[in-house]
Amino acid sequence: MAAEYAELIGDQPGAAVATFTGYVRGHAEGAAVTALELEHYPEMAQKVLMTLGETAAERFKLTRWRIVHRHGSLAVSDSIVWVGAVAEHRGEAISACEFMMDTLKTDAPFWKREEGVAGDKWVAQRGIDTRRRERWQEEAQ
Amino acid sequence: MNITIKLFAALREALGESELQLDLAEIASDASPADVAAVKAALANRGTDWREALYQPNLVHALNHKVVFTDAVVSEGDELAFFPPMTGG
Repeated sequence: MAAEYAELIGDQPGAAVATFTGYVRGHAEGAAVTALELEHYPEMAQKVLMTLGETAAERFKLTRWRIVHRHGSLAVSDSIVWVGAVAEHRGEAISACEFMMDTLKTDAPFWKREEGVAGDKWVAQRGIDTRRRERWQEEAQ
Repeated sequence: MNITIKLFAALREALGESELQLDLAEIASDASPADVAAVKAALANRGTDWREALYQPNLVHALNHKVVFTDAVVSEGDELAFFPPMTGG
């Protein structure tokens, strides 16, 4: 993560840098989660995340951005996703991170499978994620 | 006139396949090109499990790595993926 941060800010950090990191939770809906398997569609994921970063850069006037998403087998407390944005002012940097996260959740082809004591199960998309995503579309109009 | 079909996550698991080739010549002609709906209908003929998996609500269709509706036209060499709503992040 330190390396990603260094890569994000580069030689000239600009005035405002915001980052967000998501980690594997040890519980879901009251049940313990022991591990997480993240399936992905590599070619499409690469394109979607690239477009997302470029869209965020244009919308929030970012000078630099980075998105890192892991896949495969992850343990509880491992980082899953990391986004970073560099802008002139904090508002743009913070909003850009939120926009990238909210959009990535519903648009990037990754699927979580939780492993627990009762067995494995695919995680279902949550309504809150769709609503958070839609918020950005309303604001853009 | 082949296209590549890809399946992911719960769909891949339910159908026991992650990738297959489909001959478009069976479902399309120059006069009436195939759309995503036609491909789905052809695949649904493979059995009840295919029909159930492909007609589940909220199924996502991605043509050449872009999410599309079922009226998108499919051409030779395309890659068409089916999967459940995405849950990354």
